[in-house]
Amino acid sequence: MNADQPTLVGGDSERQTKTKKKIKILIGNSAQNTQQKLQTFEAQALGFADQLFRVALRLCRDRAKAEDLVQETYLQSWRSFHRFELGTNLRAWLYKIMFNVHYSNQRKDRLHLVPVEETIAETLAYDPPTPQRLTEAEVLAALERLPRDFQIPIVLSDVEELSYREIADVMEIPIGTVMSRLHRGRKILRTELVNYARESGYKVSNMAKRGE
Amino acid sequence: MECRNFKELLDSYLCQELAVETNHQLLNHAEHCPPCRAEMASRRNMREALRRACSQDRLSEEACDRLRARLRAEVSASESLIGRRQRWTSLFDLRFAIPITVTAAVLIVAAVVMLPFLKSQTTPAQLFELSEALLSEAASDHHKCAPKFIQATRAAVMPSTVEPTYVGLEKVAASGAEGLRLHAAHVCAPDGRRFAHLVYTRDGALISLLVTERDKRALKIGNLPSADVSLAGLQEANLKNLSLGAFQTPKHVILVVSDLPTAENHKLAQTLASPVVEHIRKLDGQSVAALPQYRFDDGLTVLIASLRKGER
Ligand SMILES: [Zn+2]
Ligand SMILES: [Zn+2]
Repeated sequence: MNADQPTLVGGDSERQTKTKKKIKILIGNSAQNTQQKLQTFEAQALGFADQLFRVALRLCRDRAKAEDLVQETYLQSWRSFHRFELGTNLRAWLYKIMFNVHYSNQRKDRLHLVPVEETIAETLAYDPPTPQRLTEAEVLAALERLPRDFQIPIVLSDVEELSYREIADVMEIPIGTVMSRLHRGRKILRTELVNYARESGYKVSNMAKRGE
Repeated sequence: MECRNFKELLDSYLCQELAVETNHQLLNHAEHCPPCRAEMASRRNMREALRRACSQDRLSEEACDRLRARLRAEVSASESLIGRRQRWTSLFDLRFAIPITVTAAVLIVAAVVMLPFLKSQTTPAQLFELSEALLSEAASDHHKCAPKFIQATRAAVMPSTVEPTYVGLEKVAASGAEGLRLHAAHVCAPDGRRFAHLVYTRDGALISLLVTERDKRALKIGNLPSADVSLAGLQEANLKNLSLGAFQTPKHVILVVSDLPTAENHKLAQTLASPVVEHIRKLDGQSVAALPQYRFDDGLTVLIASLRKGER
C-alpha cells in the first residue's frame, strides 16, 4: 500500500468523486495508449530528424548545439503531440517548435540576432545571370557567407521546400518579409557565385553585363 | 511577359508559389526565349546543387539513439506517474463497477447497431485513398522534371532497360493522347520514388503521366487492402496549383498531373490514363470493370467506385 493514499482518499465529497471518476477513465486510456502513441510519434516524426538537424546547424552554427536543439525540439513536440492535428503538415509543425525553442534559448543566453543589413541587397543594381556550372562546395561556401537572416529562409525554401506561408509561420515573421529576404538573399547568392565563377575563369553566360 | 519579369518571377516559379496563369506565361516565355530558358536551367541547377550540398549534413547515429532513449525515459516517467494515480483510484472501482458496465453495454449495443452504417460510409474511401506523400511526390516530380523537356525535339521513347511494365508505355498511351505532344518518356526519381514519366504539352499546358509502384507508402492507411482494386475509380486532388488524378491497379498507381484547372484535368485524366490503366491492370493480373463513382469530401476530393456488393 502506498503511503500517500490516505491523504488522497480523505476529504471525499460527492463532487470530488465525480471528477475522480472522470480522471480514472482518462488515465485508463492514456496508460494503454502511451506506448502506442510513442510508436506513432516516432514513426511519423523521427523521419524528419535529418531535415531538422540541417536547419538547426544553420541556426546554431555548431554541431553539438544543433544536436541539442533537435533533441529539445523532439521532446517538446512529444509533450504537445496530442495538440497536433493529424492531416496538417507535421514537418512544418516540427520546424515551428524548433524555432520556438531556439528563440527562447537565445533569450536565455541573452544573445540576439544581428539585425539584417538592409542595405546590402539594395546596392545590387542588376540581377546577374546564374553561372551554368557550379559545384556543391561553391554554392555551400556562398551560402555560408550570407547573413543568417537571409540564409535561413533560403534553406527552408530551396532545400527543405517549405512554402512561403509555412516559412512565415515557422520563423514568426510576416510573409512579405519572407519574400523580400528570399528575393534579396538569392540575388546576393547569385552575385557571389558569378564573382566566383569569373575569378576561376568559368564562362558566364552573359559577359556583356560585366561592366555593371 | 518580358525577360525582366521572367527573371523576377523565376525563383517563385521554382518554389511552386505562382498562380496557374502565371506559370503558363512563364513557360510560354521560356519556350520562345533561349536566354531565359538557359537562366531557368541554371537556377534549377543551382537549387539542386544547394539541396545536395545541404543534405550531406545528417544527425549522427549516436545522436539519434540518444534521442530515442530520452523519449523512452520521458514515457516511462509519465507512466509511473499514471500507475501511482491508478492505484488510488482503484479504491473506487466497486462503487463504479455497475454504472460503468451499464454504460459500456449501451455503447457496445449502439456500436453494433451503427456498424453496417459506418462501414458503408467509410470503407471504400479508406481502403483506396492514396497517401498525401505519394500525391506530393507526384506533383513534385511533375514540377521538377517535366519543364526540362518542353524544348525536347528528339522522338521520345522509353528505354528498354526500365522495368518491363514500363517498356513501351508511350506507345500504350498514344491512343489516349490525341491532341497532345509527347516530349519525353523515361523513368525518374527526383525525390526518391521511382516514376515512369511521360511528358506532354497541349496549348502551352504541361502534362505528366506518371506510373509508380503501389507500395505501402502509396496508400493512406499504409497496409495494402485485400479488397478488389478494380473498385477504386479516379481519385483527384489539388496540390500547389497542380491538378492530380489517380487510378489504381493491383500493383501500380497511374497519375495524370497538370497545371490545368481541375475540371479539364479530370477529363484529360480519363482519356489519357485509360489505355495505360487497362494495359497495366492486365499485366498486374486483373480485368477492368466499368463502375459507378461516388464522392467523398475530406480535404481531398475523392471520386471512387462504390462497393458493388453494397449496392445490390
Ligand atoms: Zn526572356
Ligand atoms: Zn521525369
